[in-house]
Formats: sequence, structure tokens, C-alpha cells
Amino acid sequence: MNDAVEVTLRAVGVLAAFLVLPLLVGQTEHKVMAHMQGRLGPMYAGGFHGWAQLVADGVKFVQKEDITPAAADQRVFRFAPAVALVPYLVAMAAIPLSPDVVAADLPASAVFVLAVTAVGILGTLMAGWASANKYSLLGAMRAAAQLLSYELPMVLAVASICLAAGSLSLSGIVAAWSPWWLVLQLPGAIVFLVSAVAELQRPPFDMPVADSEIVFGAYTEYTGLRFAFFLLSEYAGIVVMSLLFAVLYLGGWHGLASDQLGWLWTLLKGFCIAVVVIWLRVAWPRLREDQLQRLAWLVLVPLALAQLALTGVWVVVAA
Amino acid sequence: MTALDVAFAAVGLVTAASGLLAVTTRHVVHAALWLVVCLGAVAGCYLVLGAEFVALVQLLVYVGAIVVLVLFALMLTRAPIGANPDISTGRLHRVLAGVLGAGVTALLAAALLPLAGPAVERRDTSTTQLAEQLFGTWVWPFEVLSVLLLVALVAAMAVSRMTRPSVAAEPAVTGEDGVA
Amino acid sequence: MTEEAKKPGAIGIPGILKGLATTARTMAKPTHTAEYPHAQPHLPPRSRGVIALLEENCTSCMLCARECPDWCIYIDSHKETIPATTPGGRERQRNVLDRFAIDFSLCMYCGICIEVCPFDALHWSPEFEYSELDIRDLLHEKDRLGQWMPTVPPPSALDEHSAEAAEIGATTRPGRLVRTTPARPAPTRATPSGQEPPPASGQEPPPPTASEPAPEPGE
Repeated sequence: MNDAVEVTLRAVGVLAAFLVLPLLVGQTEHKVMAHMQGRLGPMYAGGFHGWAQLVADGVKFVQKEDITPAAADQRVFRFAPAVALVPYLVAMAAIPLSPDVVAADLPASAVFVLAVTAVGILGTLMAGWASANKYSLLGAMRAAAQLLSYELPMVLAVASICLAAGSLSLSGIVAAWSPWWLVLQLPGAIVFLVSAVAELQRPPFDMPVADSEIVFGAYTEYTGLRFAFFLLSEYAGIVVMSLLFAVLYLGGWHGLASDQLGWLWTLLKGFCIAVVVIWLRVAWPRLREDQLQRLAWLVLVPLALAQLALTGVWVVVAA
Repeated sequence: MTALDVAFAAVGLVTAASGLLAVTTRHVVHAALWLVVCLGAVAGCYLVLGAEFVALVQLLVYVGAIVVLVLFALMLTRAPIGANPDISTGRLHRVLAGVLGAGVTALLAAALLPLAGPAVERRDTSTTQLAEQLFGTWVWPFEVLSVLLLVALVAAMAVSRMTRPSVAAEPAVTGEDGVA
Repeated sequence: MTEEAKKPGAIGIPGILKGLATTARTMAKPTHTAEYPHAQPHLPPRSRGVIALLEENCTSCMLCARECPDWCIYIDSHKETIPATTPGGRERQRNVLDRFAIDFSLCMYCGICIEVCPFDALHWSPEFEYSELDIRDLLHEKDRLGQWMPTVPPPSALDEHSAEAAEIGATTRPGRLVRTTPARPAPTRATPSGQEPPPASGQEPPPPTASEPAPEPGE
């Protein structure tokens, strides 16, 4: 009975984090992007500096008509947002904020998070194909090509960290973290960050949803709540990837008073990474498709392999 | 009947059913999507049997990459929405395929069922054990495979970056040299 | 192809860092946004908000309505006979404006009507807050147009270095007596404006050549 209560509590906690943190990142994006462009951003919703803007957006999305195009493959079209959204929810459950604050402490959580987030692309593919729209299909194909390319350097970068820590568990990785990693794992960290941004299809890697070319890529035909789910999955993806970066490379809950405030440290570090992700969006123009593939295969993969070799040598020498 | 038995039966059923649907559906893309369910359920089977790492790798490689590749290839062709009569097989082929499938099933069942004990014992394989096996007993096959894959990776990049036919003969030769 | 591939690598890294720096610097600076309904916008001089009508000046000459590219000015008038003021005098006629309306849903704010009005009956006003829920309400009749008159700013002062307005210059400029003098040969040397002297003056260097060498060392 106690177990059931605990499982429910943990599930509710993850769900709450899943609903709150992406909104927080979204609001931060609104404000940070606005100020980086010399604007103010939302100022009215909720009174104080537009804090409730995304809540208002959510209410608006709920009110909108839920349209399924006549030519679309109805069931796949309707199911796609769930496929895009649920993986990030599951991934969030496995990310530890501190040794105690973790919904499900799996033995191989690093692999788990990577495996689960890799499933999310299926949602985009399903959406793009089922929309019966050429822009959607183009967007889905771009997304698939991009995600396949960037999956590899990302896994290699994480493999290097796991090798250094001697553990596949995120908690174990943070436990083994040392400040030297900031230097020794720097190439891997850059590779991870770049591929994470690419996996999220965020600018400058937003070829799949390039609005000036293919409307909104795979999500062109979506309206209302289903569209909101896709947006939510994007922001949940930022949260997952930022927290993952904080846990893998920035030492998670290491910091002052880490016994009591460890979870706050992890959240803070993750938030900083999220701001960097937003910053990249504001500062850099979109990469062309060939530049994108060239970057993945000719820069990131060799860099990740070199990092892996470096880590291997280091581990052997240190041991 | 423990909870694990029930879980295994459930994922097994899902695997079988989705596999069947993947073969029988007349929508090309639906077949690929049912394949996703099937492979995911296989990962579930591994998980129930205690091979957590294998399950995760199954998910990462098969669902996250291979099926995405399959879907990508399907989308590059003209994968229409709705049933596609052009690619469905004739009645004779279907009967033949069914007989062949049943034969293979019977063969496998005949070979494997006598080997199965009264109950499958679940052995939790930790990643450490797996690593010891992989990098101890099986290290040579593993390393050879990884080198093969690395060569394939580099070769694929080299082939894709080969300069195209403006001077048809020469670049092809240099490209092959580069691969070798 | 290879050049293309090399370029981004060669200059790319400083460039992307510069982008990050620029955005970060912008974030640190105060924003340019004016929150309009709460803060009044700072309008430049001669803003074109709405067209105001000074009815007394209008003679119903119809020039504005005819020149309007959008045909959005509607004028109705009738003639009125004014009886002679003195016995035996002639009766006079004048136009009386019945209707003057501008349809701001058609108007493109070109200002031609204002330019063309010979009697300064039309003026630009910077007021712009006259949106309506019904497009038909954007047809402003003459009383509405007249209400904009108090919002018309006084004409801005002329630039101090600008040429005088033509009508003022015409009254203050001296008469053209100077033109008549150069006809006589003898006194021309004294007048600075004389350009005809060169054939007459042999000994003295002509004023233009004397003034030319002076600026050269300065430059």
C-alpha cells in the first residue's frame, strides 16, 4: 500500500515538473529573446511582466478547433503528438535532481534517457507523413535525417562521460564527477550541447521547421491542443537536455550545501544551459541542410570519437 | 503465475499481435509503425526477463534509429496514405507465405519447446556482468565488429564526399583508394 | 565548392562569437519598446495622423476632391446670392459648403488635398486614435473634421539658414534697379555685381582671378 502511494506521489511529481518546467523555460525564452532583441516581450498577461503569458496561450490552444485534414491518415495523425510528448515525460522521470530527488533511479539511466528521447522523433515522422501535406512530409524527412545524424555524436559523447565515471547511472556519474571534467570533457560537452540543440530542432538547427521555407514542417496541419502538445514536447525536450547536460557535465548537485540544496543546484545549472540554448536561437542564423550534415559527420563525430579515445586513455592511465 | 509471468505474457502477446499486423496491413507506413510497436515490445520482453541494458539498446538502436531509417526510406518513395493495392501480393503468394511461416513456426517450436524447462528462471543481468562478459570472454568479436563498423562509417563518409562525375573515371579511382 | 566549404571555417568562429556578444550586449541595454497605450508615443514633427478642416476657409472649389487619388473626399455645396450692400450695387454669389467628408477607410494619407488647397482649409493633425469598430464610422463629416482643428500644431519654425519664403522675399527684396545700371560702361567697376566689365578693364586683374588663388593654399 505504501509502495502504491509512493509510486503515485512520484508520478504526480514528475507530471508536475513536466507541466511547470517547460512553461518556465518557455517564459524565459519569451523574455530573454525579447530583451536580446531590444524588446520587452509579454508584459500584460497575469499583471507582473506577463508571467502568465503561456498559461493564457494554453487556454487559447484549448479553445481552438481540433482539425484533422480530410486527406490525412486520421489515426496516425491524432496519435502523433502523444508519441512526441510521452518520451520526454518518461525521460524526465529518470533524471536525478539530487541523490534523493529522483522519480525512478534506474541502474542504466543515462542509456535510458538517450533511448527514450530517441523515440520522440517517431512522433514528428508520423505527424509529417500523416498530414498529407508536402511541407509536412519535407519537414519530417529533414527531421529524420537530422536526428539520425546527430544521434551518433550525442551517444558517443555520453559514452565518453560514462567511461570516465565508470557508470551508466546518472547518479553514479554525478557521484564520480570531478571539476577536472570541465576541462577534460569539454569537447564532449560541446558535442553534446550541439547535438542536443540539433535533436530538439531548435535554431540554428531548425531546418525541419524552417518557417520561411516549409511553413512549420511536420506540424503545419496541427491546430489547437495537439499543436500545443508538440510545442510542449519541444520545451520539455529543452528541459530534459539541459538537465541532462547539467548532470553529465556540470556535476549536477555538487555545490554549496549540496546535502540540502542539491536539487536546487541541478535545477539552476540546467536553467543556465536552457538560457544558453535560447541564446543560441537568438544569435545564430539557420544552418543549411548540407552545412548541417557536414557539421554532424565531419566535425562532431570525429570530435566525439577523439574525446572517447582521450577519455579511454585517461581512465587507463589514472587507474 | 507471478506478476512477471503476466507481464511477460502481455508483452509477448503485444509483440506477436503487432508483428502479425505489421505483416498483414496493406498500408506501407502502418506496417513500419507496427514494426515499431513490435520492436518496442521485444524490448519489453528483455526488460521482463531482466536484461535491462539489452532492452535499452534495443530501444535506442532499433526504435530510435533503424525504424526511423525505414520510415525515412519509405517517405522518400511515394508512400501514399491509405491502402496500396500496387504492393499487395496475390492470393497464391499469401497462402504460400502463410504455409511457410507456419512451417518455420512449427520447426522452431519443435526444436525449442523440449529445451524449455518448467519455468523460465529470471536472471537479473547487471550492466557490470554484461560488461565483464563483453570485454572479457567476447572481447575479440566485439572489437572486430566495432572496427568493422568504424570502417563502414568512415567509408560511407568518404563515398558520400566523393566528387561527382564531371571527370568520371579519375575521381572514382581516387575515392576507392581513399576508402581502402 | 571547396572555397565554400573553407569560408565558414575560416571566418566562422569569430563570427558566431560576435553574434553571441551582440545579443548579450543588447540584453544588458534598456529596451526600445514604448508601451503605447500607457506611454504616449513620441511623434516626429509633421506627423500625418488625421486631416482637419477649417470650414471658414473652404470655398468649395473642389480642388481637393478632384486631386484625391482615392476619391475619398465628398463635397456638396450650393450657390447663395448675397444682396447688394449698397443701393444700386450688384448682387454677389458665393458658395456655401453643405457637406465635406473624408472617408478615412479609403484615404492613403498622401496629403495631396492639403498641398493643393489654395486657402489653407485642410491641415495635418498628429492625432491618430480614431479607430472604429465599424468601417463606416471612418467616414468623418465636416463637423468631425472641424473638431480636429484644435489639435493642429502651429507650423514649425523655419530653419534659420533657409531661404526666405517666396512671398516674404518678394516684399522685402529691393527693386530691380541694379539691372538697369550695367548698361552704362563707366560706373560698372564700382558695383560688385557687375560681370560685364572684363572687356573694359585692362590694367587691373579681374576680381574673379584675384579671389581664386586665395582659397587654394587654405585647402
